[in-house]
Amino acid sequence: MRRLVLARRTLGSLRSEKTIVLALVIQLFIAGFSSFLVVGLVSLYDPGSTEGAIEVDVGVTGNASGDVAAALADDGLRVVPAESEAAASAAFQRGELDALVHATTQPGGRVLVEATAPEGSFRTTLVVSELKSALSALEREQRAGFSQRLTRQPLDLPPEERSNPYFSFTYTVLLPLLAFLPAFISGSVMADSLAEEAERGTLELLRVAPLSLRDVVDGKAVALVGLAPAQVALWLALLSYNGTAIANPLAVLALVTGVAAVLVAGGAALALRIGARREAQLLYSFVALGAFGAASLLPQSPQNLVARLAVDSATTLTWLTLAATLVAAALAYAGLRWFAGGGEA
Amino acid sequence: MKARNVARIARWETTRSAGDVDRETAVAFVVVLLALAAIVPALVTTGPTPGEGIYRVGVDDDSQYADVVASDPQLAAVDPAADADIVVTETTITYEDTPKGRAALSTLRSATVSYNDFLMRQEPDQAAAFPVVVSLTYLPQSISVTGQPADGADPAGDSTGTGGGDAGTGGDTPQTGTDGATTGGDVPTAGGGLSGLLGQAQSGTPSSISPPFPLQSLVFAFAFLLPLNVVIQAYGSSVLAERINRRGEPMLVAPVSRGDIVAGKTLPYLLGALALISVIALATGAGALSVLAIAPLAALFLAATFFGAMLARSYKELTFVTVTVSVGLTAYAFVPAVFAEVHPIAAISPLTVVVDSITGDGVSAGQFVLSTTPPGLAAFVLFGLGTGVYREEDMFTQLPVPSKLLDALAAPLTARWRVGLWTALFLPFVLVAELFAVAVLFVAPVSLSVPLLLGAVAVIEEIAKSVHVLAGFERGTFDRSVRTAVVVGAASGVGFFLAEKLLLVTQLVGLPDLDVAQAAFSPAALGVSPGLLLVAPLALHVVTAAISALGAARSRLAYLGTLLAAVLVHVGYNLAVVVAVA
Repeated sequence: MRRLVLARRTLGSLRSEKTIVLALVIQLFIAGFSSFLVVGLVSLYDPGSTEGAIEVDVGVTGNASGDVAAALADDGLRVVPAESEAAASAAFQRGELDALVHATTQPGGRVLVEATAPEGSFRTTLVVSELKSALSALEREQRAGFSQRLTRQPLDLPPEERSNPYFSFTYTVLLPLLAFLPAFISGSVMADSLAEEAERGTLELLRVAPLSLRDVVDGKAVALVGLAPAQVALWLALLSYNGTAIANPLAVLALVTGVAAVLVAGGAALALRIGARREAQLLYSFVALGAFGAASLLPQSPQNLVARLAVDSATTLTWLTLAATLVAAALAYAGLRWFAGGGEA
Repeated sequence: MKARNVARIARWETTRSAGDVDRETAVAFVVVLLALAAIVPALVTTGPTPGEGIYRVGVDDDSQYADVVASDPQLAAVDPAADADIVVTETTITYEDTPKGRAALSTLRSATVSYNDFLMRQEPDQAAAFPVVVSLTYLPQSISVTGQPADGADPAGDSTGTGGGDAGTGGDTPQTGTDGATTGGDVPTAGGGLSGLLGQAQSGTPSSISPPFPLQSLVFAFAFLLPLNVVIQAYGSSVLAERINRRGEPMLVAPVSRGDIVAGKTLPYLLGALALISVIALATGAGALSVLAIAPLAALFLAATFFGAMLARSYKELTFVTVTVSVGLTAYAFVPAVFAEVHPIAAISPLTVVVDSITGDGVSAGQFVLSTTPPGLAAFVLFGLGTGVYREEDMFTQLPVPSKLLDALAAPLTARWRVGLWTALFLPFVLVAELFAVAVLFVAPVSLSVPLLLGAVAVIEEIAKSVHVLAGFERGTFDRSVRTAVVVGAASGVGFFLAEKLLLVTQLVGLPDLDVAQAAFSPAALGVSPGLLLVAPLALHVVTAAISALGAARSRLAYLGTLLAAVLVHVGYNLAVVVAVA
């Protein structure tokens, strides 16, 4: 009961300092910023994502220009007939062409393509990816023509289908980011909160109150561990609303709660042991960083766990790792209680 | 400020910090750092994939596609009868028509392409296995990014033009690709992973060509800026610790000035940050110039943390202030640097100097000034504001951050004319904010970016001209009369007008060639008579500052209303200028 009072007080102080609002804003900013980056990046590489807004004009010359021009046109590039290499080159210089392709057939039947792309321009990346995709198609076509010269045959490609280029990013980067940031912040706030009580000397005062240090730590920990899944639930709801289906929301929240419990216990133990915020906070950052790094060496890293659970590709090992995380969380919490109680059972 | 006092306080700060750490904590630090050092190489060698096994492909073990699935970590083979996103049989490939199914299909497709390349590399007849060989070169086009012909670039354009002609004839292609192709021997490999990403010539099969990666600066942003977070965390703790239990009081009554205390406390951390940056510069092969370029940014990190620590009520609040500072400043340094080597906009960020220093491109003096001056000046002003509240009545009281902020802003306003001085001192922030707005908006089409930017500029400038005026009225520094409001507003407007000339620094790197930047920095500088050029902006700044000051003299709510009115007037003026010029 008293613990709940303390938990309420901890949440109240977070609310009155508006820090929880700031925390949400920061998370939103980081997530928005990384999405902005990826959307920008993909639109540089993937012409499809700009919905044909950008046309790439290519000047084609050389004795194999027929095959190459057909392949380029099939892939959606605009082939501009060029009278001569010099004329094409001049047009490229003036910026009328985005790329030059000079294709010659070699004696062995191989097509040699000399491509020129603009240097240091925004469109360079797009132009090169377009050329790459068209020339790959040409390669497959030519290879099929030489099939009798090959001892192995290439596999048929699966059909091409429009897919969301951000799909994998959303589940493997964005979602883990949004899931683990709140847990990390909770642990950090726990270290702050206890270190401050220790530095101000109010931890001594609390001991005179009719509750033990264990109750104090417990109350704060309950509030902060609970806060992490609450924030993540908000992000999951927001993502679902935006059309990103989350397959196992409860399992994701359980995982976040487990990770938050481990981090909060770690932050609390460091703050209690060291008693000074600067050292405790630094050490906490390093330890948390190291723990995430070490956990990435597991067969299914925490990041991978969130992705698998949310995208509905969980295996038995996923569920076992989740269970192990929860056990570790329970152990860390029990260890903290033991530690706060002065080492007595 | 006395150098001897500063040095003594700096020494004390250093020895006290070292003395505070007990042996156990020191050992823990060493152990954790060693563990981190051991984990990093392990992570690099194993290279964990966050997307491992997120797509399930139902495929028989004896199917050739089983090898394809095994080659891509994102794909996981499952029993064809089980629940799967794609099912591959001997004749067909079926997929679920869901976002996940389509994403899985496209992953399977690119994995099959790589697998085919792997198969074909084992063929004896390489000319048939790889019937297309590409050699890719990059040539500059003689048009500038703004779409106009670049002045004086013609001779260079011509010479590279003939160079292009040569390459086109294939007479002297420097690539080994020609040899490989004619002899029908091995396929040349693309020129190393990194050279392709950095936009250098490469040759090989179509699938080995890699488009230039435009975000190399991401790596530098993280390498240079992340370590600064460690420094500001320690620094912020140290500043806030002075404010807990009145610990800083003995120092305040000592015969040293406030400036000495702040400078002395900051010096060890600034030196530490510079040492860290120098080590990173050495490790990444960046020159001494890049250390100089990052130094003002490091100072701004510390200044913002110092100011935040003077306002924060508790360590919890400080944590969020620190995170906000580092996220905001990292974005400011990072966003423009994305366009390094591509666009003049990149000159805004100090990281561009680092990138240019690594790639060996020269840095012009103008570029250097633009990237370092605004953060340097902003750091200076923030330290000034923070030092203003480094006094007993502010340090040891618990007030919400906004009201502490008003205290800090009102503290230096000892006379009415000082309002103008502080408006001028806020200009670095205006510059930083406007540069950031330009960097974010310039990719958008002009029809969208220019109006948005005009609005953003008006909001930023009007707030800078009025926020300390509000603080002055709220803290009772000025009497709430119309006359005072007009006088103070006029002082603020004049101060802004004079300091605005600092924006001329953007001319140094040719930023105004950009439509967007022009809208932000020199809307009036186009074809208007010189007399009007001086009078019109002065009148604008005085009028809008007076409007918002009138509201500030009444109440906070009235201030919001008049601020909005001032912004609208400002936007209207800017639009009129843009329309008149066009």
